[in-house]
Amino acid sequence: MARLNTIVAILIFACSLGAFSQTTAWEVSADQATKKNPLEILPKNLALGRNIFKRTCVSCHGEKADGKGLIQSTNLIDEKFQKQTDGVVFYKIITGRDKMPPFGAMLKEDEIWSVINYLRVLVDPSAIPPPKNVKLELTTGEEIKSITAIVLSADSAKLPLNEVDVHFYVKREFGLMRIGEMSNYTGADGKVKVVFPEKIVGDSEGNVTLVVKIENNFLYNDIETTAVKKWGTPLLSHEDEFNRRALWGARDKSPVWLLLLANGIIAIVWAVIVYVIYNLFRIKKAGRIFIK
Amino acid sequence: MTDLYRKEIEIKKEQFQDLVSDLNSPLNRTGSSFKIWIGFLLLLIGIAGFMYVRQLQQGLGTTDMRDIASWGLYIADFVFLIAVSLVGSLITAILKLSNVKWATPLTRISEIIAVAALIAALLIIVVDMGRPDRLWHIFVHGRLQSPIVWDILVVNTYLVISILLLYIPLIPDLALLRKTMGHKPKWQQKMYKILSLGWQGTEEQFRIMNLSLTALMVIIIPVALSIHTVTSWLFASTLRPGWDSTIFGPYFVSGAFMVGAATVIVTMYVIITNYNFKAYITDKHFDLMGKLLVLTSLVYLYFNLNEFMVPAYKMKSGESAHILGLLVGEYSLLFWSVQILGMILPILLLIIKPFRKPKPLMIISVVVVIGAFLKRFLIVTPTLLHPFLPVQNYPESYHHYNPTFSEIMITVGSFAGIMLIISLFIKLFPIIPVYETAHEKGFPNEIINNS
Repeated sequence: MARLNTIVAILIFACSLGAFSQTTAWEVSADQATKKNPLEILPKNLALGRNIFKRTCVSCHGEKADGKGLIQSTNLIDEKFQKQTDGVVFYKIITGRDKMPPFGAMLKEDEIWSVINYLRVLVDPSAIPPPKNVKLELTTGEEIKSITAIVLSADSAKLPLNEVDVHFYVKREFGLMRIGEMSNYTGADGKVKVVFPEKIVGDSEGNVTLVVKIENNFLYNDIETTAVKKWGTPLLSHEDEFNRRALWGARDKSPVWLLLLANGIIAIVWAVIVYVIYNLFRIKKAGRIFIK
Repeated sequence: MTDLYRKEIEIKKEQFQDLVSDLNSPLNRTGSSFKIWIGFLLLLIGIAGFMYVRQLQQGLGTTDMRDIASWGLYIADFVFLIAVSLVGSLITAILKLSNVKWATPLTRISEIIAVAALIAALLIIVVDMGRPDRLWHIFVHGRLQSPIVWDILVVNTYLVISILLLYIPLIPDLALLRKTMGHKPKWQQKMYKILSLGWQGTEEQFRIMNLSLTALMVIIIPVALSIHTVTSWLFASTLRPGWDSTIFGPYFVSGAFMVGAATVIVTMYVIITNYNFKAYITDKHFDLMGKLLVLTSLVYLYFNLNEFMVPAYKMKSGESAHILGLLVGEYSLLFWSVQILGMILPILLLIIKPFRKPKPLMIISVVVVIGAFLKRFLIVTPTLLHPFLPVQNYPESYHHYNPTFSEIMITVGSFAGIMLIISLFIKLFPIIPVYETAHEKGFPNEIINNS
């Protein structure tokens, strides 16, 4: 009887262990695993996938997707990872586990599929054609402040290029600030327009530098064009503020009260110290008189 | 009549000779155990020095300080050492100006602790710098608006005053040493001769000395209070959970007096067990220092109550992570150990008289000192780990701080350095003031001067 009890106890324990491991492991049902990737491996999808990868995945999985980001994480370009079906990878991205956050709520399904496509191409770049050069021109609208990029083929024919992802930025002190969407695709006429936002601060005269780029594109080589426009709010000079004596001021801009207080205390305390050191000489002198 | 008087003088002279040889006995007796002790301290300092050279070569990466916890064991050590140094002003100035006579034999002990701790504090702050070669920048480019500059000013000022307060009462003793230490090496005799400033014990010399001492004792009290207040402002003037407090100044100062009293008790015990000073540092001294420790601890307890009770009652959203981390979270074990073992239990035990006997008092004081060091660590580190601005995309290890072996050994080295300074001082100078003791025992100045 006692032995039976032991066996039952062990069985229950084993079952509970099994149940426990099932909740922590990344079990993917057959249904999920065979889910088909609806996106074709097209340059446009790849660019989207790469943008999302750079934004959401790089910090942990690394620039090369080799798992060497700020923390050690799964290598996404080795055979072990790549032999999983698209469905399995999709499920894992959606649900997450341990330090891998669940991205189901953050990304759209298409976006996740595009990331998967991007990871496939990282290992097998032969799937995409070599990139071509393009011509990038800008026109600006003044009534509604807007900037239009025109993408043309680099040859003499100058044919407008459809479906090219163009990125728009405003130059700031330490970098570029994106305006428009993450991806802005040209139409059939090769044009894409972005409206300049309100209340962007420019230089002292209100000039802003607009930077338009085709970058990280699988079909085309990188190209960049800039334009300077007087669209910004003029930067107000705060020189008067900075020249004021204040606690945040520079070394020679200490507040007067602080100078008086601090130096006053220092003067009083060190006067006493100097007096005492002077007294040491007096003690020495007094001893000499005694000997004589 | 004159014979009787002469005889009395002779007896007094002999008694005074006994007193001098008693108090100077550590200078004449250097056993092998002392040499082993010095060797041991030098070994620890050597290890610390090696670790520091390694830190200079490889950078602060040899520590566990990272982006979030940018202050660690070194700063905790610095605050601790500054706290310890405050005892110099407590015993020599505050007690003396209040006409507390019993503290006389303890003045030099407390003053040498203060000087040694300050020297170590100044060194450890350089150790904490990633680029110590740029130390001079603080003098050339420092802004008077910055608490760091106040700290540098006030620590150095306090060191100068402490050295003077150590040195000036030593002058009459140095004159005695000049007369009695003829068998010592040449350099040592020369040192006594130069440092004693040709002291003859004239009325004029005494007058100038007492005047200087009074001036120093008065000025050291505000300087001592400001040194630790400014140290606390290094924390309190930044907007951080746990540091953003208006009572940080008195909170630090009261804690400093507590740990300082405990340090003096431990040193007293070590001195009476190694040297035959039981007649000068008696059970009564331990009893009174025990009472002083209770008093300072009670004040510190009161400030602790304010410091943690009020924020814990409000639980402001930004501060709650920090407060909960201390009370029930990652640091709760350390926090409650420090508060209960290092503060509350000592108070409860020391109000009972038998616990103020030398041995139990010494053991309690050791616990208080260790607790005080860990308390400084608790003030510095957990706050840094809970910044108001959220941190993202950091490696997990940045969210914790565990001092490395290198940091621990350098910190241990700083303590070894303090003990080395004190040990060597005891071998070169009388640790109990000879002149003041003789004066208080009623020996007239002629006898002291003409012996």
